[in-house]
Amino acid sequence: MTATAINVVGLSKWFGDFLALDDIALTVPRGCSTVLCGPSGSGKSTLLRCLNGLESWEEGEVVMSGRPVGHRPRDLVALRRRVGMVFQDFNLFPHLDALSNVALPPRVNLGITRAEAEAEAEMLLAQVGLADFARKYPAQLSGGQKQRVAIARALAMQPEVLLFDEPTSALDPESIGEVLDVMISLAEAGTTMVVVTHEMGFASRVCHEVVFMCAGRVAECCPPQRFFTDPETERARAFLAQVQY
Amino acid sequence: MTLSTIPPRLPPEVFRTGVPSGLRGMAAESPVSLILWFALALGAAWILPGLISWTLLDATWVAEDRSGCDPSGACWAFIVNRLPQFGFGFFPPQERWRAAVALVWPVAALAIALGPAFRGRAGLVAGALAAYPVGATLVLWGEPLGLRGVGTAQWGGMTMTVYVGTVAFVLAFPVGLVLALGRRSSLPALRVLSTVFIEVWRGLPLIAVLFISVVMVPFLLPPGTELPRLALALVGITLYTSSYLAEVFRGGLQSLGKGQAEAAAALGFTYWTAQGYILIPQAIRAVIPGILNTVVALFKDTTYVLVVGLFDFLNIVNAAVADPHWLGLATEGYIFVGIVYWSFCFLLSRVSARIEWGMARGAAREART
Repeated sequence: MTATAINVVGLSKWFGDFLALDDIALTVPRGCSTVLCGPSGSGKSTLLRCLNGLESWEEGEVVMSGRPVGHRPRDLVALRRRVGMVFQDFNLFPHLDALSNVALPPRVNLGITRAEAEAEAEMLLAQVGLADFARKYPAQLSGGQKQRVAIARALAMQPEVLLFDEPTSALDPESIGEVLDVMISLAEAGTTMVVVTHEMGFASRVCHEVVFMCAGRVAECCPPQRFFTDPETERARAFLAQVQY
Repeated sequence: MTLSTIPPRLPPEVFRTGVPSGLRGMAAESPVSLILWFALALGAAWILPGLISWTLLDATWVAEDRSGCDPSGACWAFIVNRLPQFGFGFFPPQERWRAAVALVWPVAALAIALGPAFRGRAGLVAGALAAYPVGATLVLWGEPLGLRGVGTAQWGGMTMTVYVGTVAFVLAFPVGLVLALGRRSSLPALRVLSTVFIEVWRGLPLIAVLFISVVMVPFLLPPGTELPRLALALVGITLYTSSYLAEVFRGGLQSLGKGQAEAAAALGFTYWTAQGYILIPQAIRAVIPGILNTVVALFKDTTYVLVVGLFDFLNIVNAAVADPHWLGLATEGYIFVGIVYWSFCFLLSRVSARIEWGMARGAAREART
């Protein structure tokens, strides 16, 4: 095991003629949580989606746990089994109940038995505070509950890295708290996480590093204390003034 | 809990009106509606007495031939006399139980689907249907099972209709799925191939498909191989149906959000496991009414096999109507054909409604958080 979980070098991506990511460099140490923030359209979600190959890119390299993330389907499947992702819109499987949502991926993709997978899934649902909701279908759950099931589902694959793509943006204010609580306890337990979020409270409390993106570039990359008290760039100061009133 | 003992607060009586029902409601209906009701009643009074006396009161149920029938009523004796043939074709009488098995098998599966729910019902119905093509062929043919061999030339009647319809549907289902996936594939060659295949079969009339498969396919086979006409016709109907089902499945796959495929990919599912566990089960659920619609159309279209000389239910009644002992009974024959086809299609539409109702109830249950 290397000390670096993710290493991004010279990553550039174009959507047609539009340069979406411009020569990105990023290092995420193992056991640390990193927050990606920035104005909308700055490329933070696109960068996150490159980390598990949901987006392709034209130049540069992404190295995950010492292995480069390629574009070959077989390599990507192997990579994604080690990298969990939580989406803004939850994307739970609506035809399966909460327990099966969590138990199916490891059963199919890691080849463990149904009994093992379901025992593990029950434990994970309890961990996110949803032990009593195992037999509920996604449509019967609130937004916050859905997102917590989605986190349990990502954890069930025992990933080395967890990616969060604006996990609280589709939630009402009350639900945001319950999802953030789960994320905070994961971060405090030493999970390697990369989080795209506008929740500056989360960023200032638990993350180890804040990456501020602007126009497809990494504008600032520093510990949260410095980012929130003394940002280097004018753009970051303006952004902070907006999100913190 | 003490709260639950408090009676719920209901809306005041004056607002508790919905759609007017029954006689009390009719009084509240508009004059136009009353006139329509009156016209309907008048029409029924004009048609029903004659219809009832012809079909039931003056009808003859038992007779040796046409001359034994009362000419003022329907001659159902013709149908009763020929019932085994209408049901089982030219199957040898002592082997008819085998034709009956092939005939009742899919009907029983549908009845189970309509009956009370139990654990594993969906699996049982799907399994019974999946086993049908091989199972029914073995039972009808008989030789591989050590029974007396019965050639396809002797198969016929309702057995043939149900056999052709069920076999074509069960075989077309997986072919249609593969075609739908092919048409949505990211590989251009596969996409073009699937699209051309679907559009060719969908663009031909079924009668042309049947002629092509029965007349032209033998030329493509290695010389010396001989397939029964029924097998060739089945290949044609299966491909024709699969192209329709493919478009139904494609609609279902397209109705799924992009997020489902992404979530599956992000969890390390391969293309095939994502399709099998996540996408196809949801897509099929979304298009069950469309699938059953295709099945009803297929069931009625099976009757086109008569153009290549197979004696399905309609064709065997057709042949019987020409029997010199029973001349002039076309009306009875075709009324019978109509009733039987309608009953089957009605059964299918009930199954469809039942599944939709079940899904709507499930959705309502899911909506109550």
